[in-house]
Amino acid sequence: MNNRVNPGFKKELQKFGMSEQWNECFHCGNCTAICPLSENEVLFPRKGIRVIQMGLKDKLASYVEPWMCYYCGECSETCPRDANPGELMMTLRRYLTSVYDWTGMSRKFYTSKWWELSYILFFALLVIVLFLIYLPLRPDAYLMVNESGGVMLNHLVAGISGDQFIRIIEFGDWAMAIIVAFILVSNILNMFYKIILSNKSFKVPFYAYFTEFWRLIYNFVTQSKFSKCDDKNYWVGHMLLMTGYTTMFILVVVALPAFQTEKVVDWYNWQRLLGYYATFGILFFLTVVTIGRIRKKDIKLQYSHSTDWLFIIMLGLTTITGIVLHIFRLAGLPAATYYMYILHLAILVPMIMVEVPFSKWSHLAYRPFAIYFSRLKQVALSKQYSTGLAPAI
Amino acid sequence: MEEPRIGVYVCWCGTNIEKVVDVAEVAKAMEKLPNVVLSKNYKYMCSDPGQDLIIKDIKENNLNRIVVSACSPRIHELTFRKTLEKAGLNPYLLQMANIREHVSWVHDDKKAATDKAKSLVAAAVTRVNHHEELQKRTVDINPATLIIGGGIAGLTAALEIADAGKKVFLLEKTNHLGGVVAGIDQSFPYFDSAQQIIQQFIKRIKQHENVEVLLNTKAENITGYVGNFKMPLPMLGIDAELEFGNIIVATGLKPYDPSAIREYGYGYLPNVITSLEFEKMLMSGKIETKDGKTPEDILIIHCVGSRNKNCHEYCSRTCCMTALKFATQLRSALPKANIYQAYADMRSFGKDCEELYLKASQKDIMFLMYDQQKYLPEIRRAPNREKCEMLVEIEEILSGDMVEVPADLVILMTAMEAHEDVKDVARTVGVSLCGNDFFIERHPKLDPVATTTDGVFIAGTCQAPKDIPDSVAQAKAAAARVLSSIDVGQVEIEVTTAFTNEDLCCGCQTCISVCPYKAIGFNEENRVSVVNEILCKGCGTCSSACPTGAIRTRHFTDKQIMSQIEGMLSMTKRKSKKTELEV
Repeated sequence: MNNRVNPGFKKELQKFGMSEQWNECFHCGNCTAICPLSENEVLFPRKGIRVIQMGLKDKLASYVEPWMCYYCGECSETCPRDANPGELMMTLRRYLTSVYDWTGMSRKFYTSKWWELSYILFFALLVIVLFLIYLPLRPDAYLMVNESGGVMLNHLVAGISGDQFIRIIEFGDWAMAIIVAFILVSNILNMFYKIILSNKSFKVPFYAYFTEFWRLIYNFVTQSKFSKCDDKNYWVGHMLLMTGYTTMFILVVVALPAFQTEKVVDWYNWQRLLGYYATFGILFFLTVVTIGRIRKKDIKLQYSHSTDWLFIIMLGLTTITGIVLHIFRLAGLPAATYYMYILHLAILVPMIMVEVPFSKWSHLAYRPFAIYFSRLKQVALSKQYSTGLAPAI
Repeated sequence: MEEPRIGVYVCWCGTNIEKVVDVAEVAKAMEKLPNVVLSKNYKYMCSDPGQDLIIKDIKENNLNRIVVSACSPRIHELTFRKTLEKAGLNPYLLQMANIREHVSWVHDDKKAATDKAKSLVAAAVTRVNHHEELQKRTVDINPATLIIGGGIAGLTAALEIADAGKKVFLLEKTNHLGGVVAGIDQSFPYFDSAQQIIQQFIKRIKQHENVEVLLNTKAENITGYVGNFKMPLPMLGIDAELEFGNIIVATGLKPYDPSAIREYGYGYLPNVITSLEFEKMLMSGKIETKDGKTPEDILIIHCVGSRNKNCHEYCSRTCCMTALKFATQLRSALPKANIYQAYADMRSFGKDCEELYLKASQKDIMFLMYDQQKYLPEIRRAPNREKCEMLVEIEEILSGDMVEVPADLVILMTAMEAHEDVKDVARTVGVSLCGNDFFIERHPKLDPVATTTDGVFIAGTCQAPKDIPDSVAQAKAAAARVLSSIDVGQVEIEVTTAFTNEDLCCGCQTCISVCPYKAIGFNEENRVSVVNEILCKGCGTCSSACPTGAIRTRHFTDKQIMSQIEGMLSMTKRKSKKTELEV
């Protein structure tokens, strides 16, 4: 590991939204002391700030602690120098996302709005063009309204049956999921290499990979670390968003035939109830965060990177187009429903393609894996302790 | 000699003495001692009513010896001597017994403390029986002053005294004036030119009618005493000598030689330079490596030779600010360079110095903290493939990481230390040195520019590391002390000196060899020792060493001391007899 100090490194981090006060820190350690999540073997944020100040790039790449931080903002409130350690951790999460991403796209998106916007526009246009060319609206679409007045969504395309339409959409779903998963998984492997394998100062015992694995699943589902932050409401809100989104994801990818049904099912059916729950969950938290980011009263929402806004806008538009689409369908407006459907996908697809593997949304994987890797490191170090070796810090 | 009539006064010192010692009992016990006319206790003897009480008693009861049993004589002996003078008695007919520091403040058993107090006061009473009247003496002060050292402190003091119209001899051992300040570019924290300050001083000194500058001259063979010192100038002729009444020692500092620290490779790595060498570079206007390249990475290492038990344990007090000054100057000279500071603790005390730190820290300078007790940064030559000249390994303690710093130029903030010949100076002027070879002041807080030798003052970095303002302040203070003694024109000299009974002296010269003040000479004609009572401090070393009892110290004669011991034992003797009886 290269331990050469690098005064120019700050410029690199400034591209990822590092605040002006980054060098104010004089290492009193109040932030680490007040942090409800910082514990004996996983100390942050002070140490990370020191690494930033010295520009130790390699050390930073192996630094897992930013993922342990859920940004309650207490450190920034306590900081006597207004160095804003919470925001520095946020910057580091953006930076680390780009470090893990071997394709280099993440770095491009975080450091250049134009790159990100072009990429989004490309996928949006791709979706629109593919639909308009290969799945055009049938001329007699106005007839595709069933007896209860709802639009028969799967029968709006010329020349194919409802089943075929579902299969095509499902194929698209899976293709997208596989591409995204491939990039994300390879990035996680890269993260694993940087945090665990490249660090020669400890060696993880083989059994630990299995004995510690439950933490990965447990933390993914419960986000129990997040709940240890003092602001519990925020955890509840995030939980609504997360379960809402996961529900929606399962409905549209795994259970598409049951969700995107021929007929509009009655409101009390599970598909519609789950759909409403998901919509509410996403919309609720999104509204809270949007208001927070505009009002800038809450310290964790004071500083908004362009990617933060883009994420809110994309997810918001996806949700709104989904709702409008649903209303058009209930109202029996086939053509409007179909074009709204295309628009909905033209926002959803680029959002997934940019956010999940390369940007903000990748934290859904990095956070639980970070907890897992950090545990592996701790197990390795505590084993070395008992054999008399000093732990690497 | 008239019959002694002794008055004893036991002070309460508020509750300081009274709460542990039964003052009434002590006073009562003293009444029984021979020649004691009266014995009283009072709440504050040192207060005006307390002193008036003594004066009244002396007059009414015809007392001729006084014992005050109170605090340390260091605090109030002079007070009570004046009281005796006011009452018309010789001030040396007083003896104090210290029953506060020696009894009430260090004991809590009231009975035992009272007994101890009785012994101490009884000792004072028996001693005072043998006190003799001593007469104060004065000598005239020669208004000329010798200043040793032509640095900023010496120059300041010289100008101050010369401007007051008094003669100054300014000695400088090198061939130029200005000292270390002459080698400094700008001073911290205001970045004003040190050259302007010092060159102006030098110009004025050279033109001053009252200043005689003696370059290439060391202070040697100074004889005499306060008011009347002499120093021969053999290079100007056999009889040439300087005569002066006071001396200001301002011999300054020597920069520490960092080649002793292996880790820094000074002298071996061409681009490792000291702070003073860098000052020269700044004055030349060209910051470059030995190969003439503009350095891209510059590391400043603090505490070189300071605060480490292998070098000097003291802090040199100016290096942190100088390092911050360097960083600031470097940043304006080389806006794109990477500037690093390896510091141990940032000690930017003093007016506007913390502000200097704040400003410097906003100039894109990387501060790295190291532990100067454990791991010093290690400098090595960079391999050829590297762009930089050197690589420095630092155990950075804020992170706990071992980091590597590239460097083209390393500036070592070297310590201030005493000159090698400072011991010769100390011997010549009769001043003591501390463990770090700095001159010791008479009192660190209350008398910081005087020394234990009357007429010898110290100023500047020969006393301790300090910056320009402190050196100047100290030089002016020393000058003020000299001027005030010149103004008085006379100086009171020690009364309690040694003197020889020439009939008893066997001429063995033991006293001469033990005298720390060189106050005893030998009369070859009569083969006897002669005390120079002006140089004598009355320490008593000669008296105790003299095999024949020929040399005695006034106020500390054998008789006085023996009677004091007898008096002290007289109280315990009685008590031990009692215990014997009880047993």
